[in-house]
Amino acid sequence: MHDKRKIRVLVAKPGLDGHSRGAKVVAYGLRDAGFEVIYTGLHQAPLQIVNTAIQEDVDVVGLSILSGAHLNLTKRVVDGLREKGAGDKMVIVGGTVPQADIAKLKGMGVTEVFTSGASIRQISQFIKGKVGGGPASFEGKGDKDEH
Amino acid sequence: MKGKETRMSIDPKAIAEARKEWEERSVAPALKRFKLVENPSRFYTPLDLPDFDFIEKVGFPGQYPFTAGTYAFLPYQAGLKGTGFIPQSPELVRAGRYSGYGAPEDYRDYQIHMQSLGARSGPNIAFDLPTQLGYDSDSPMAEGEVGRAGVAVSTLRDFEVIYEAFTAERDIDRIASNFTINAPANMIIAMYVALAEKRGIPVETLRATPQNDILKEFVGRGAYIFPPGPSMRMMRDSIVFITRRLPSFNITSIGGYHMREAGATREQDLAFSMAIGAAYLHEGVNAGLDIDSFAPRFSFNVFGGSMEFYKEIAFQRAARRMWASLLKERFGAKEPRSLLLRQPLAAHIGCISTTLQRPLNNLIRTVVGGMASAMSGGPPESWPPYDEPLGLGWSLEAIQLAEDAQRILQHEAKLCDVIDPFAGSYFMESLTDEIEEAGWTEFEKIQTMGGVVTAIESGYMQQEVAKSAYERQKRIESGEDLVVGVNCFTGEHELDVRTTRLVPHPYDPEKMELAESKQIANLREVKKTRDNQAVIRLLKDLEVAAKKETENLIPRLIECVTAYATIQEMCDVLRGVFGKYQETNI
Repeated sequence: MHDKRKIRVLVAKPGLDGHSRGAKVVAYGLRDAGFEVIYTGLHQAPLQIVNTAIQEDVDVVGLSILSGAHLNLTKRVVDGLREKGAGDKMVIVGGTVPQADIAKLKGMGVTEVFTSGASIRQISQFIKGKVGGGPASFEGKGDKDEH
Repeated sequence: MKGKETRMSIDPKAIAEARKEWEERSVAPALKRFKLVENPSRFYTPLDLPDFDFIEKVGFPGQYPFTAGTYAFLPYQAGLKGTGFIPQSPELVRAGRYSGYGAPEDYRDYQIHMQSLGARSGPNIAFDLPTQLGYDSDSPMAEGEVGRAGVAVSTLRDFEVIYEAFTAERDIDRIASNFTINAPANMIIAMYVALAEKRGIPVETLRATPQNDILKEFVGRGAYIFPPGPSMRMMRDSIVFITRRLPSFNITSIGGYHMREAGATREQDLAFSMAIGAAYLHEGVNAGLDIDSFAPRFSFNVFGGSMEFYKEIAFQRAARRMWASLLKERFGAKEPRSLLLRQPLAAHIGCISTTLQRPLNNLIRTVVGGMASAMSGGPPESWPPYDEPLGLGWSLEAIQLAEDAQRILQHEAKLCDVIDPFAGSYFMESLTDEIEEAGWTEFEKIQTMGGVVTAIESGYMQQEVAKSAYERQKRIESGEDLVVGVNCFTGEHELDVRTTRLVPHPYDPEKMELAESKQIANLREVKKTRDNQAVIRLLKDLEVAAKKETENLIPRLIECVTAYATIQEMCDVLRGVFGKYQETNI
């Protein structure tokens, strides 16, 4: 491991969807995998999430959406981060996202979408690969040594 | 018992000896052959069920303690056609398939379309998330969510539009409605009453079931507004108002299912639902109502939800027995109807058991669920349709397959010819006892904490459920729990079998996209044409009434909705008085 701080991840629930199982499981899992995790709780407006992400200085924003409103809510978070000069934060999305919408989300600037059946291992390795500081055994294609 | 005496010839000593011999002569060589230390399957004998009293533990279907079933036989067995989504016996008044999308106009047109296809029942309304959370369609909090997870209802005007599909022989004194609404349930009840008053229909004839089970929202599902304490005051208001004024209304539809979906274990599901039910019953009793005057109006949504066939069946049997015992022993209920755990289906697999991977496998899973339901006292409903996890809404193909599955289970497999086929099984009875005991243990733990409201305020129930969800995830990732097509049997030679989703769905995606702008215009029109002075005055009255804990707010809410006050205006007043629930940290 490099001598640097833990990767900070904001697990956020934008909008009014109250299904928090996935978000909480991912939050617990990433915490156990060595990340610093902040969970927003339910019913967060996109702007609140943007502000929290900046205040908490996170590296990654994970949005969990199961209500079908993922396109609208994600766009507002991604745009909000850019507007506030925090467009470098990686945004990932999890939840019930139809296959056809995954490309749309990536087109907005979302780095990856994890749907039902994804494992904590996949998510954590993906983040480590992209943000850096990952274990030597990581098989992904990310830029481990950036910063 | 008079006359010919029947004697059960059970000799424990002989059975113990026979078992020992079986283990030595049959099991041991098999274990050796397969190089096993332990028998991978269990076999039950009367020794697993000592001192079994059939009458006390099982009884007859429709009789205390209701282990064998809520009714003497299943009501739909009296119908000629069958179960679930398809029309039932003409004498039964039931709400139809759970549905709702778009602006009220869109949902009204959907209902009219379904009627043209033969639907006869009332609406089973899914409300959009802004409505469920007490926000109007024009609120910044509603952006992107109007008309999406259900139909948007901000004012009585929207309700009136939906119910334009229900007039004449389908008027609201002839049909039954279901409202999947919790935090603002009393506002929706008020709208139904106001609608009846406007139509000149006596409110006593109204039949409906509001979900109105707010406590489970804090543990699963998350559609809460106010803190648990004031939420219980709202619950008390509905119990009292419905009992006194709406004799054909159900008060609540309690469900452990949402908590299970959120991660609760079987035992947590059972204990938490019973504890929540008990808390609502206490509200009614504390408000001075006789238990038998309102307990029969408690209904249940569903409990349970897993692929574990035997355990889910035992769970249903245990749940019926616990509820009956709770009512009889702890609340002193005397009316047989007070003791009934009424729910639309029994055991099922839950949406959480469906997989996005190889989704057609979900049909196989739900057939197992339909069998479990039939064998645990419910209809053989194969639920949910297989494409549930795709996030696209149920296709008509998937609904057709689900309907056919249950028809086949009923008419070809004849699963409904026997009620509680496992009654008296050494295995099933001991498993039922085991699950019931674990349920009571957790139930008592919550009572010791001070009851469910305290257990929710402290975050105990939420944290326990989240922990259970995480434990399950870890078992899936370690391969301890197997999910076909997800963490096993995923080799490249496996086929992902797909079927079409080509039949156009009656929900129009374009209308769904336009719903938000349409609703904002609708709302603007209402606010322009209503008597705004009256609304301001009535909201002030609501605020004053809300500050007086003993006052029942529903009559005030009826006045407010009749004057076309919006859901958010009413909820904002109550947010001001009651506060908003703040989630405990994980």
